Formats: sequence, structure tokens, C-alpha cells
Amino acid sequence: MKKLFYILFAFTAFTSCQKVIDVDLNEANPAHVIEANYSAEDSTLRVRITVTSNYFDNTPSPEVNNAIVEIVNASGIITSVPFSSNGTYILSAYAPEFNTEYTLNVSIDGANYSAQCKMSSPVQLDPITYEYFDGFFGSGGGYAPFMNFNDPAGETNYYQVLLSRNDTLFNTLDDFFTQDDQLTDGNYVQRPLFLNNFYQLNDSVHMELRSIDKRIYDYIDEAQSISGSQNSAAPGNPTNNWSNGALGYFSAYSSSHQSVIIQ
Amino acid sequence: MKIILFLLALISFTSFGQKYTVSGSVKDALDGEDIYGASIKVKELTNVGALTNSYGFYSLTLDSGSYTLIIRSTGYDPKEIPLQLDKDITLNVELEIPEDVQEIEEVKVTAVKENENITSSEMNVTKFDPKSIETIPVIFGEKDIMKTLQLTPGVKSAGEGNAGFYVRGGGTDQNLILLDEAPVYNASHLLGFFSVFNSDAVKDVSLYKSGIPAQYGGRASSVMDVKMRDGNMKKFDMSGGIGLISSRLTLEAPIVKDKGSFIISGRRSYADLFLKLAPNEDQRNTKLYFYDLNAKANYRLGEKDRIFLSGYFGRDKFGFSDIFGFNWGNTTATLRWNHIINKKLFSNTSVIYSNFDYQFNIGSGNDGFGVKSSIEDWNIKQDFSYFLNNSNNLKFGFQGIYHTFKPGALTGSNESFNEVILDSRYALEVSAYIQNEMKLGARWNINYGLRYAGFDLIGKGNAYEFDAEGNVTDTTTYKSFESIKYQGGLEPRLSMSFVLTENNSIKLGYNRNYQFLHQLSNSTTSSPTDVWVPSSNNVKPQIADQIALGYYHNLKSNMYALSTEVYYKYLQNQIDYRNGAQTVLNDLVEGELIYGTGKAYGVELQIQKKKGKLTGWISYTLSRSLRNFDAINNGKTFSARQDRIHDIAVVLMYKLNDHISLASSWVYYTGDAVTFPSGKYEVNGVYIPYYTERNGYRFPNYHRLDLGVTWYLKDSEKFEHNINFSVYNAYSRENAFSITFQENAETGNTEAVKTTLFKIIPSVTYNFNLK
Repeated sequence: MKKLFYILFAFTAFTSCQKVIDVDLNEANPAHVIEANYSAEDSTLRVRITVTSNYFDNTPSPEVNNAIVEIVNASGIITSVPFSSNGTYILSAYAPEFNTEYTLNVSIDGANYSAQCKMSSPVQLDPITYEYFDGFFGSGGGYAPFMNFNDPAGETNYYQVLLSRNDTLFNTLDDFFTQDDQLTDGNYVQRPLFLNNFYQLNDSVHMELRSIDKRIYDYIDEAQSISGSQNSAAPGNPTNNWSNGALGYFSAYSSSHQSVIIQ
Repeated sequence: MKIILFLLALISFTSFGQKYTVSGSVKDALDGEDIYGASIKVKELTNVGALTNSYGFYSLTLDSGSYTLIIRSTGYDPKEIPLQLDKDITLNVELEIPEDVQEIEEVKVTAVKENENITSSEMNVTKFDPKSIETIPVIFGEKDIMKTLQLTPGVKSAGEGNAGFYVRGGGTDQNLILLDEAPVYNASHLLGFFSVFNSDAVKDVSLYKSGIPAQYGGRASSVMDVKMRDGNMKKFDMSGGIGLISSRLTLEAPIVKDKGSFIISGRRSYADLFLKLAPNEDQRNTKLYFYDLNAKANYRLGEKDRIFLSGYFGRDKFGFSDIFGFNWGNTTATLRWNHIINKKLFSNTSVIYSNFDYQFNIGSGNDGFGVKSSIEDWNIKQDFSYFLNNSNNLKFGFQGIYHTFKPGALTGSNESFNEVILDSRYALEVSAYIQNEMKLGARWNINYGLRYAGFDLIGKGNAYEFDAEGNVTDTTTYKSFESIKYQGGLEPRLSMSFVLTENNSIKLGYNRNYQFLHQLSNSTTSSPTDVWVPSSNNVKPQIADQIALGYYHNLKSNMYALSTEVYYKYLQNQIDYRNGAQTVLNDLVEGELIYGTGKAYGVELQIQKKKGKLTGWISYTLSRSLRNFDAINNGKTFSARQDRIHDIAVVLMYKLNDHISLASSWVYYTGDAVTFPSGKYEVNGVYIPYYTERNGYRFPNYHRLDLGVTWYLKDSEKFEHNINFSVYNAYSRENAFSITFQENAETGNTEAVKTTLFKIIPSVTYNFNLK
């Protein structure tokens, strides 16, 4: 009898299913996508420019190779960012000035885009600790690393955290962690970071703590909620720091690193 | 003031002879329950009569003389009582259910007079008693009055299996849901699959879609008034049911026969008990259940006074080991005092408490933290009905509500977190109303009224001012009970019918409603964590104006009822979030809001068969619901999510014989408006959808057939029982619950994936009644 009830329940509770379907989507007018990262660590600005494509088009995004890209520092000095290859533009040996604002200007076939971002000073990451966790619903258990650092008191900080496993960097949007200090200002922060899969024994963990601008923090948060949670009532394009409707972002950031091997 | 004088002037006085009043109550002879809406007619006089109010009380004033009163209510034997009226008389009447009807009572559809739909001035108020719908198949076999309401024209389900509903293009938070006068803030269990109303404890439900009477207010779209049963006045009675998902038990008995009674009804789901049998430890450690308890007692203190105490307590619990716990629920309590001041003046005083709260806990011990949030109301309400004369029935009263909003507190022992306790907010909501139900000659019924509603957000607390981007520009601190912002306005109400013949009529309704509390939801499914935000210096009250016109026609001596209604609704100060709004634990959530307008219009057709072996209805709604926000869609008008253009419901109930009833329902509606990407772009190595317009796409059209068989087993005087078999989604239509656009993990290609929540679901429920 007990078994019967269980079967009946199982029958009703697990009737959901998923299917890939065809959806007839409109063709949008192509828009420019500018993804710009200025890392203080290697004093390099990397810009990649592409255009939007049809949602079900599975060829790589079209690249823009004829843009004029310039960066302007807080004193108004303009530096040109040279074209490298395949839609990328790279400026190296560009020394950062912490806590100052940079402006990036991009001109593509007469369309002008501009974005501002503050370069924040780095916050030191302390050695990584880790703990064993039981699995949730069928997935196996494993180790999750804790990020440990002392949040500077009295200032508003925004962070982006990136993890690697055995030298493979989790560099996609969904795997970014963000942290602000709204609830933790001036505290010693210890936070476990859960990826889709746990780390296992003998895995090496690499962690990068980036100090980022609030505009980028908001952008990542919003972009993750759009790409991650699929039942948002009002999906839209994430608000970014580009003018004139360009997609993407311009982030200036500084980093600190730690590594550990799980034993 | 002028308006009130004008309204009073409209009251018609008919004659000035020597007059006496006959008044009293109408009750069910079997269990002593009050009968609401029973008609009292005078045989000798055409067009003179009264209806009982919601406490079964009536009053009729006539010239002295001898008369015969005819008391009628659908489902009961009519009763004729001769009357010598030479003084004021109290006459209490008990109506009996006829022997032959007792057995088919389960399939009676209305609790109102046969052509009530033609003659009453109420615009298409939808009334149900749980008995009348118990054979209609529903998901998991859990009979649910809110799901059945969704099969009527103009009322739409908020999603697959969802107890939430949209009325005439309004949002789910724009419905005032009252349980014995107490507002219920979150009317669903298990994230929406069940309503909080246990049908065994419900006497009847009325849903007002337009021409809303002035006695109700506080929400923009509709009023759903749920009345709990009073309990058997004559003898002990036990009933219950055992279903796949939950079981329920109801006990009722007199406290003192014919003086007082009580009812207590409980329900618990037990899906989690089966999970304990699961082979997987993770499933065994999962908790997922709800329970609720309805209780009510009433006692007659004498000829003139009666006290009612009713309460509801319900809770949902969801948890996983000690890693995660989440629970939420409503608590309501209502204390009412009916007092007959004199033969014509009836008073009801209510003190009402209502609470909704949720909390979740993550982790335990040193790493644990929890979040708590609640909304609490204390409510005092005074209503009078004054049976002025046979043509005018005045109702007036006032109400005061003290709201406490505790939007959230984060507490815990984890040293990484600072405790966050959001500011509590307080508000006083006041209202006063007067309305008159007037009969004008044989053809006109006019119910007109005026309600004043005001809302005062009070201290203590902070009021913030924001710039266009939502950043704080100024903060003002207020002391306890200091007014932060007072807003209010007049709400004219009108509902009138013109009876063309005994079989057809035309009705017109207008209502204006203010709504001061706004529920903000950031996802497409209803969630207990959706926040209620009060009107403030930043948030204006929502205002809805609706005009509706209807034509009603009964055929074949009221066997068939046809209705056609058209409506137009204009909504002001509609609220939405900014893109990417921070909605959890945010004191400055008002800065994340944007405002716009809405309009909804449509036509609703229904044909109903009310008598015979086959009963049921077919309804069709053609409607639109549109919104306009400067900050959304570049200011262009867009479809609201619930903008379902076509909506069809076919409900059929067939009584095969004394033992078997069959029922089916079929629904079809245009897919919800939804935002899909019109392109994609690559950032950080992943493709992100590129959106160009809000709600510019549609889900696939939704349709579903449900079937049910109720088998009435051999019964005796003392014991009745039945088994209900039902099949939800009988042809296993894979309706879209969500459509997600994502990258295939293996191929890296972008694709659209449809999730279907429920394919075919058979269920069985056993119900019994021990008398």
C-alpha cells in the first residue's frame, strides 16, 4: 500500500517536460557591441567590437575592424587604441591612475559611443580556505572554496570574483560572482563560492578578486539575472555605461590573486 | 457634500399611510445556516418584496392589512405564510430542502432566485457555493473555488494550475480577497497551485467585476468576498475527504441548539510524507507541505444580538535538511457583532485582524542567517443597513485600518554580515460609504453610492526623495503617528438594471476604485516574497475607472441564461520596476519604481444552462489589456502580460443517474504576451539575448481538457460518501509554462526551450459526510 501511494505521488509530481521548439523571431536592426576591459594588473586595455546577430544564427558574431578607439584619462589626455585583429583593439603599457575616471570613445562608421569608468584600487585577497559540502538533489558532494578578505571600512566597494579549476578559467558571465559591501562594510568577509560543480580532491583553485566600478557591478548583476533567471517578468537589455545605445560594457579594474590545492 | 444631498434626494418615498414592519431571519431548516439572498414577496402586491442580507436578515414595511408572504430561495421549497399586519412583527422562517432535491443537491448551480440575474441591479456578480462546483474536475482532484472562478468570463488564470487570477485585464494584486471580511494578502498555497480556501469551510463566494458596491474598496479590479460557513445549528456533522495531495476534515455542531454553533475545518498536504519513503536521502530530507485551519463560532445572545468569531490560519513549509528553510502563511481573525437596532435598522460591527508573513533561513549554527518579512492589519468596520421602505434599502458605514509593513530583516550569527533591519512602515487607511438599493417602478433597480477612501502614511520612519535615476536626494525623518503623506479621493459607484420583460434586462455599471497598496513582482510566477509597497510621497495610489454595459436574456423558463457584457477600464498610476531593480532588502525600493497608465476593454459572452440533467456554461471573452510607461518600450504602448485576446471556457456537468455525475471543462486562450529576444550578442564568451520590445511576442495558445466522474456510493440517512476520479489535461497538451532562450551546453548553439509543467494527471479523491 505504501508503495502504491509513493508511485501515485511520483506519477503526479514529475510530469513536467522540456522540449526544444521553433520560435518565429523578428529580425532586429543590428546594434554595436563594445566589450572593453582595462586591467590595472598588466596595464592593458582590450576592446572587442562586434554586432548583434539573429538569435538562431549559429555562426560567430560579425566583427567590426574599422573602428576608431580612444581612451581619455582624468586629465583629458587622449590616447589612441590601435586595431589588433578580428575585431579586437589593444593598448598595452597604459599605466593606471587609481580612483580616477577614464573615458573610452569609439567611433564606427560615423556612430559615436562613449563610456566612463572609475579605476578602483586593489583589495588584498587572503589565502583561500575550503570546506566539504553534501550534494543537493542527486548531484554529488565536493569542496567549495571560501574567499577571505578584509573589506576597507568607510568606503563603498564593489567586487567581481573569478575562479579557475586546474588552470581553466571560468570566464563566462554565468560563472562570475559579485559582492558589494552594503551588508559587510569594514568586515572580514568569508564567503563560500559555489560553481555548478564542486571542486574535488587534488583540484587546484585559483581565485581573482577584482575591484570594479558600481556601474559594472550593476551591469553584471542585471546581465546575470537576464541570462540566468528565465522567468523574469520584464527582461530587457542590461543597463550599461555606453552612450548612444551600444551594448556591452567598459570596465576598468584592479585585481589580487590566491591559489590553493584541495587536499 | 452636494453629491450626498443629491443622492439622498434620489431616495424615493412611496406612500404615507399607517405602516408596520415585518422583519426577521431566513434559515436552512436542516442545519440552521443563514440563507443569503432569499426573496420575501407579498402575494397580494405585485412588485413588493425584500431580499435577506448576508446575515439572513430582512425587513419589509407595509400598510396595515392581511397578506401572504412567499419566501423563496433556489434549492429550497418555497413557503407561504399568512400574516395579519396590525403591529410590528418578528417572523423567522426556516426553509426546507425538498426530498427529491436532496439527492441532486450537488448539481444545483445557483443559490439565487431563478431570474435573479435579470432583475437584480448587480452587474454580473459571479456567485458560487462549493456544493455546486464539486464535480468540476480540477488539478490533483483538489476542489478549489478559485480555480472554478477562472472558468467564468472575464476571469483568467494567472498561469498553469495557478490559484492567482486576473479580472478584466487587471493584475493579480488588484483583487480584494476577503475571508469573512478579513483581507487575505496571499491567497495561494504551494507557490500558487492551491488556493488557501478549503471548500469544506466555505459557504459561498461572490466575485464583483464591475459596478462594485460602495461597501467594498481598497483594490482596483475586483472584489472576491468569501464567506465561511457558520456551522450546523441542529446537530453534529462530520465530513471530510482523502485526496492524493491532501486530506481534510470538518467538524460542526451546535453549541446550544438553535442558539449557537461552531465549525472547525482542517487540511494538510502530505506529499512530504511520501518523500520520506524515497530511496534518495536528499529527497527524504526535503520538506514541502501546507496546512490550514478554518474555525468559526456563532452565538445568539438574544432576539437582537448575535456574535460571530471566525479565524483562519494557514502555513506553507518548504525546506531541505537544515541547509534551507522557507515558510509563509496568512492568519486572519474576525469578531463580529450583529445587532438589530430596530425593525428597520440592522448593524454589524467587526474587528478584524489580518497578517501575512514569510521567512527563510539559510544554513544553521554559526553560518546561518534568516530573512523575515510581514504585513499586518488591524481593522475596525461598522456597517448599517437601513430598510427605509420597500423601494429603498440604505447601507452606510465606515472603516479604519492600521497597517504595519515590515518589509524585511536580515538576522544571523554569520560575522561576515551586518544585521539589516529595514524600516517598518505604518499607515492608516480610512473610508466611509453610503449606498442605496432603490427600486423605481417595476422596471428599474438602481444601486448608487459614494465611497471616500483615504490613506495616510505615518511615522515613525524616513521619507526619501529621489532623482530621475532613482538616487536619493533628500531624507526626512518623521515621528510616531506623524503624517508623511495623505492621499485620498471619492469613489462614485453605480449599478443599475432596466428590466425589459421578465426574461431580459439591460444593466449599466460604473465604478472608481483607489488602491493604496501595491504588490511588486519581479517574476512571472507568484511568489510569497513579492513585496507589498504602500502609497507614499513617491508612490501614488492606483486609480481604476470602469464602465460596463450588459444585456441579459433568460430562455425556456430560466433554463438558459445568456449574458453579454462590454467594459472599458482606465488605470492610472500603474507601477513597474526599473530594469535591474534591486528588490530584496532595499529600504529605497521606491526609487526603483516607474509609473504609467493602463487600459483594458473587452466583450464577454456567456450561455449557461441552469436546470436539467445537463448543466454548465460556455463563455467567450474578447479583450485587450495594454500599458503605457515612458520608461518602458521607448514610451510606446505594450501588451500587459495578461493581454489574452481570446478566452474560451466550456464547462459541462451531466447527471447520469442517482449515483454517477460526469463533468468536463475545456479552456482555450491566446498565449500570454511575453518578451522574447530579437537577436543576440556575445559578451564574456556567452551569448546574451538582445531585446528590442517589451511583451512583443506571445506564448503558444493554451488549451486543456479536464474530465471528472463522481460516483455517489450507497448512502444512508446518517452517512454519505462519494469517490471522485479526475483527469487534468486529458489529451496531454504540452502547454508552455516557460520558454527560455539559452545556449545548448553541448553544441554551443542558441536555442529556445519550452517547459511544460503538467501533462496528463489522473487523481482520485474520497469524500464522506457523517451526519
